[in-house]
Amino acid sequence: MTSDKSHPYLNQNKPWIDNDNAIWIASTIHLSRNIEKYKFPGKLEADRQKQIVSVLGKELMAAPHLSKPRLFHSDQITPAQKQFLMEHFLSTQGFQQAHSGEAFVLSEAGDFLAVFNVNDHLSLCIIDSRGELEQTWNRLVEIETTIGKAVNYAYSPRFGFMTADPAISGTGLVVSIYLQISGLIHLDRIDEVLDKLNDESIYVSGMQGNPTEVIGDILVVQNNYTQGVTEENIFSGLRSFASKLLMEENSARKEIKQQENNEIKDRVSRAFGILIHSYHIEAVEALNAISLLKLGQSLGWISGISCKDLNQLFFNCRRAHLLAQFKETIPQEQILHKRSEYIHSALKEVKLMI
Amino acid sequence: MADTPRPNEIEPEKEPEKPIECSGECRRPIAVHYSEITGQTIVVTGMCEECPVLKRKLHGMHTQIKGASSLAETDLACGNCGTSLESIKVGSLLGCSSCYDIFDETIVAELQGAGKLPTRLTSVKKPLPLHFGRSPGEVKEITPSIRLLALNEALNETLKKEDYEQAALLRDQIQALTRDDEKPKNGEKKNND
Repeated sequence: MTSDKSHPYLNQNKPWIDNDNAIWIASTIHLSRNIEKYKFPGKLEADRQKQIVSVLGKELMAAPHLSKPRLFHSDQITPAQKQFLMEHFLSTQGFQQAHSGEAFVLSEAGDFLAVFNVNDHLSLCIIDSRGELEQTWNRLVEIETTIGKAVNYAYSPRFGFMTADPAISGTGLVVSIYLQISGLIHLDRIDEVLDKLNDESIYVSGMQGNPTEVIGDILVVQNNYTQGVTEENIFSGLRSFASKLLMEENSARKEIKQQENNEIKDRVSRAFGILIHSYHIEAVEALNAISLLKLGQSLGWISGISCKDLNQLFFNCRRAHLLAQFKETIPQEQILHKRSEYIHSALKEVKLMI
Repeated sequence: MADTPRPNEIEPEKEPEKPIECSGECRRPIAVHYSEITGQTIVVTGMCEECPVLKRKLHGMHTQIKGASSLAETDLACGNCGTSLESIKVGSLLGCSSCYDIFDETIVAELQGAGKLPTRLTSVKKPLPLHFGRSPGEVKEITPSIRLLALNEALNETLKKEDYEQAALLRDQIQALTRDDEKPKNGEKKNND
């Protein structure tokens, strides 16, 4: 249970390096728990925080289905590494407020994160990029049940699992599905489709949790309720909603291809131009342009790069991931230029076929 | 990597941060940029339309209090952790599990107000359960058949739209799922190949 600032677990590409998903990019499952009789982290004394890290850390090290887990104390992780974790696990919650008394457990496979004492005593997160949402959930429950044999979770029959944020009490389960629906967005049809699929049990937002700001054409489809529903209700509702949205996106792409849509050909061409000719580029502009390039690639308008490589470029253009690509320290004022250089290098074999 | 990035950002210089009382809590979009000038410093805060901090700053903390009962209510705090009723109303996190007992009605009202309770539960009174999920230690596996149901639902909608090409792709996925030896990825691979 030692920590190391340069540990590869804090700078790893798995499971994103193998991601070749065109639309359904990935899903994440978050489960929040607190320990009975202990105050929640915001009101918890420092010595109690240490006890929690010690007890939960010990149990997780021995938990099933975790490949070589490692524990990292928050004061041994740099701010950039905390942001890397946030980006890696597609979290909208930052870990910068974690200075002492908080800790993280990561696994070798790069798909598991446990956070201790940030908001709740225990927050478990798993990334699923293979479309095996239900199996991934069953694996998470096994880990949660194993820990639950050593500690009693804060639970009441009325409110279920009690969390610091009442909005996730009950099941304590938040499932997010990340869908890159460039076709619907660029045909300007997304609002109409979302109105048609309208479901009060589903919350739709952008990657940063803001429902009005969509970045890189990625919509996050999440369960809106954690109370009054079973875990099975949550998964079936999300599966159903996401499958319908996926189907609409496939239809939109088919239509764009059949109609040889000039407007979208122009957008893809301009996006390619921006990416290969920019000297400075902001992350949001880069992510939006890469998404258009991915759309072009799926329609056969772009050659010389695979969907997998474009996904990797997409994830690595984010600030902390970009900085992790370079061995040397990048000064703040050079980040935008370094991002441009990184993109130029990744796209050097790419050709526009329009 | 010497710079210190702020939380919840892909790129800096975006929306201003929300008030400390709301950070990590409020999911509503920022509608107001509130600038506070003190001496030489200007602090800009992003607030939602219904931000209680904004109301307090504009109208003062106690302008809403009319009677003795309201005053008593604002003083209410959890005996175990000291969390006050007022802090819960501005969206602060709860301090301990006892808060759920003490602030039961307020928590339910806040969940309802934020659209976080299914409509059918809006009239559930204490001590009826709001929670329908697993209890601690309960083993309840979810089978991948949920995926099958979702695909069938999508197939029916596709047939209604007479999109037979898409329907054929969905049917292939359903058939593959019903055979144990074949598991396509994400329900999208064949659609996008």
